[in-house]
Amino acid sequence: MVISADARARIDAEIQKYPHKRGALLPALHIVQGEQGHVNTDAARAVAEIFEILPVEVMEVVSFYNMFFDSPQARHHVYVCTNLPCSLRGARGLLRELSQHLGVDESGDTADGRIHLGHEECLGACAYAPMLRIDDTYHEDLDVEKAKALLDALA
Amino acid sequence: MLTVPYTTQYLTEHFADGDYTTLAGYERKGGYRAARVALTQMSPADVIQLVKDSGLQGRGGAGFSTGMKWSFMPAGGDAPKYLVCNADESEPGSFKDRILLERGAHQMLEGILIAAWATGADKTFVYIRGEYAQPAVTLQRCIDEAYAAGYLGANVMRTGFRHDVVMQRGAGAYICGEETGLLESLEGKKGQPRKKPPFPAQYGAFGMPTTVNNVETFSHVPHIVANGAEWFRGFGTEKSPGTTIFGVSGHVARPGLYELPLGTRLDEIVFEHAGGVPGGRKVKGVIPGGMSMPILPAGQLDVPMANEHLRERKTMLGTGGVMVMDETTCMVRVACVITYFFRDESCGQCTQCREGTGWLNKITNRIERGAGSEEDLAILLDVAAKMEGQTICAFADAAAWPIQGLLRHFRGDFEEHVRQRKCPFSSSFEL
Amino acid sequence: MPRITVDGNPIEVAQGRTILQALDDAGVLMNGVDVPHYCWHPKLSIDGSCRLCQVEVEGVPKLQIACNTPVQDGMVVHTASPRVVAAREGVMELLLVNHPLDCPICDQAGECKLQDYAFEYGVSASRSREPRRALKKNVDLGPTIVFDQERCILCRRCVRFCREVPGTGELVVLGRGDDSVIETFPGVPLDNDYSMNVADICPVGALTTKDFRFKIRVWFLDDVPGICTGCSKGCNIHLGVANNRVYRYQPRRNDAVNDTWICDEGRMSYRRVGAPDRLRRALVRGELGVPEATDFGAAVAAAAERIAHLRDTKGAGVIAGIASPHATNEDLFVFRRFLDELGAGAFGVAVTTGRADGLLIQAEKAANAFGAHAFGFSDAAALCDRIRHGGVDGLIVLGHDALGADYLGGVEALAGLDTVIALDSHDSDLQRVAHVLFPTRVAAEKHGTLTNHAGRVQKVEPAVEPAYDARSEGEVLAALGAALGLAGFDGRFDASEVSKALSQSVPAFADASLDAVGPSGVPLAGGPRW
Repeated sequence: MVISADARARIDAEIQKYPHKRGALLPALHIVQGEQGHVNTDAARAVAEIFEILPVEVMEVVSFYNMFFDSPQARHHVYVCTNLPCSLRGARGLLRELSQHLGVDESGDTADGRIHLGHEECLGACAYAPMLRIDDTYHEDLDVEKAKALLDALA
Repeated sequence: MLTVPYTTQYLTEHFADGDYTTLAGYERKGGYRAARVALTQMSPADVIQLVKDSGLQGRGGAGFSTGMKWSFMPAGGDAPKYLVCNADESEPGSFKDRILLERGAHQMLEGILIAAWATGADKTFVYIRGEYAQPAVTLQRCIDEAYAAGYLGANVMRTGFRHDVVMQRGAGAYICGEETGLLESLEGKKGQPRKKPPFPAQYGAFGMPTTVNNVETFSHVPHIVANGAEWFRGFGTEKSPGTTIFGVSGHVARPGLYELPLGTRLDEIVFEHAGGVPGGRKVKGVIPGGMSMPILPAGQLDVPMANEHLRERKTMLGTGGVMVMDETTCMVRVACVITYFFRDESCGQCTQCREGTGWLNKITNRIERGAGSEEDLAILLDVAAKMEGQTICAFADAAAWPIQGLLRHFRGDFEEHVRQRKCPFSSSFEL
Repeated sequence: MPRITVDGNPIEVAQGRTILQALDDAGVLMNGVDVPHYCWHPKLSIDGSCRLCQVEVEGVPKLQIACNTPVQDGMVVHTASPRVVAAREGVMELLLVNHPLDCPICDQAGECKLQDYAFEYGVSASRSREPRRALKKNVDLGPTIVFDQERCILCRRCVRFCREVPGTGELVVLGRGDDSVIETFPGVPLDNDYSMNVADICPVGALTTKDFRFKIRVWFLDDVPGICTGCSKGCNIHLGVANNRVYRYQPRRNDAVNDTWICDEGRMSYRRVGAPDRLRRALVRGELGVPEATDFGAAVAAAAERIAHLRDTKGAGVIAGIASPHATNEDLFVFRRFLDELGAGAFGVAVTTGRADGLLIQAEKAANAFGAHAFGFSDAAALCDRIRHGGVDGLIVLGHDALGADYLGGVEALAGLDTVIALDSHDSDLQRVAHVLFPTRVAAEKHGTLTNHAGRVQKVEPAVEPAYDARSEGEVLAALGAALGLAGFDGRFDASEVSKALSQSVPAFADASLDAVGPSGVPLAGGPRW
């Protein structure tokens, strides 16, 4: 089964909230990606069938948003905000240090598939710069050592 | 860490109180009483008039009269009507909606309920940016609490009024903060803004009449209903009443949130409240309202933070994101950061925006590398002019304004890069 | 009717139309009133993203896109004010920032809207010193189309076309901003009955057909107006001709017939004109039963002798005629008069049928079945039955649709006939039984008219001259009639003259003679069905 029964039930519950089925597409993609880590072509076909649209229309949506992926991902996403307020307070240097610490490019995956390191635009934590997010959690008011420790603690 | 605002007023005065984020805690401080008054003692038209009289302007960046916007919703009829709460806060430098969601979700929901009553809306969709995963958890909990207590659902406070609230998470695209880009995303599509007309009040979410308001805008509403228009006008200026939550960031001693009346002077915010630039350095420039708004140089910070005054300085209030840059800052690097953002976030529909944001970014990067020319400065301004006012939405304007502002006040930085064939600001922030 | 003023000239408009639609309705768009545009197309939904069609509307501060601005009575529009000129220059310059310098190798050169508008409305020198984005240049989008991602200006016409016309929706725009690209889903190529239309509507050389790729420069082609003959829709076309050869068909706009579209099969039927199986010489079956090539005069004499012999010995009633639904109205009118004067016993028309799709594709796979019916050729199924049972001694047959399963079911049914005279354009089994076989011209080689499924009379003109001795059916029959001494047959066939006679004798065609039919055709009086 491409989409688990549990995910399907949650998607159906979302669909109930909208006057048009397709309103629940983003919630559905979050659910599918939460399970599988990304939305591959099989998942796109399965989602397309649920929403009665074409698989290519699903990929169109997936490709537009930063948080949806169409290929397998590392276990953890680590994004350093490098927008203006954060850059003013050293975000770029932080990103550089972390990439050296992990031995990856400033946008890259560790060889063991543990971490994807990258940068993101403003995350709404401007006063607590520099900061980064690891998956769903923000880590703010960082310095290089604190940040390295956070990454080292990731499994 | 997400702290409570350094200065508070009616919006945030209880945010330090731990249980204010629960329904019981909110009710203890008088929560949902204004909604009860509105639904049991005021007609929808009364509420709209009250909000009009208060002069409340939208707090999402455009500053349109909220009461007027509500009055655009068609009255009566069988077709469903919707409210949308724009919680997609992604404007660089803005982080006020975040705290309103984390600590004041019930206040926002009460405002939504009152707005629903006023406009006859059946349902509200709260569209919250995907990266706000934790605030989304809090918000959903508060929505569930409100349903359990009968403040939402089939029979709100047993008045017979029905209203539902649905939360949808975005997935990382700044353009989904644009009203019609949000509607497209809400409908499960790419967040590409719509041609206007038609406007959302005619054709909005799922083709139905819709009003879109910002998180903060809804949050003011219960206080206006509880205390009246005149009370509200006691804060702020005549044209820009009420408070707002300024977010101060960058080179200041106390970056953070400050709820203050509109019209508070920018230099007061930067120097008195936020403690000025640490280390004895001087301010070089301040962006007053989020990264889309043109920068002001150190000599022009004596401006009251309200649109009627900021417009005279060729900038705007936007979302009140105050970004302070000290004397070490290279303004060409600032341009590189800004143009990169707009290039990345352009939805790609309109020719000028898609190609223009890319071109602006490439030119500023080249100038920063020391490979720029005098002609490039003319091209930057020309491209910015060709992007303004000619696209489906205002994103292209927002991408053009910062370049215009930087060249207006800091042309010297750019010229030095050209003349010296490198970046001369060796102690500037790292790019 | 409401009225607007455009560049000082008044134009009557229909309420509910946009400025661009109103200009198009009035026939002046890019034909007196210049409002260049990319994403708008008269037959697709409004997009509004290219921003090229901006115009100045008096009383409105910002420039407005003409494609999405509804007209209002009294509106005053300027299409060439300094602000508009500057805006167009801006759009053109920005489009060229990333567009590759492919003109020397791009099929679109010479009919490229980017070239044309850059020349007309753009700036003469590019100021960009930035490297252009590098994307894929030779993408196999599907069986018929090649895609160059770098050339694409993201007007999205192709995306809208696939969604709105064939309804197959294979194409989308993936990504965001200047990373956007047109893409298909893995394993779902661009493959529908109308796929090649995307190459027409693509303003640049991003989408081109595999069939035409690198064949010839378009400025060597003459565009001859014509009609597709693949089915009874009669889609209007341009034949692209050079060196007396048809290189391609492109759809020609006719809002009463095919809008701006043509199906792929019809588009590709240009190959039938110069196909290797064209019949080239008249054939006469000799004493030993072997067909020998001969000249036209000898073939006419041989055919006349056989027909006269049958007429004289058994009476003309044993002779039947089967008409071709591919011949023109003029050819068929002459055939009918021929059979009447001869006293032929029976006649009909054989029409090959197939799939119809509710869009353009019609079941009748010939361009003039309606014309045949109009001149009294009813369906030949019953007649073919008689022929199979030996009830006919002589047959004059036009085309080889009659060999089909619904009719003769094969050429064996004709093996026992005393006389078979065949007129056909392409090779078939008729060669094996015909006593005389005349090579005929196809519609692209004739003057004449064709009547489509809805009773619309449309004209064709010769786009190429066959290098071999092919003549129109009317010409062959005129000579044959004269050789047989039939009344009214003097051996000459002039399509114009015949058409006039036709319009005078057949009331429905009164206003539809060849000289009266304009480029878009004429509906028959009295409605569609004969």
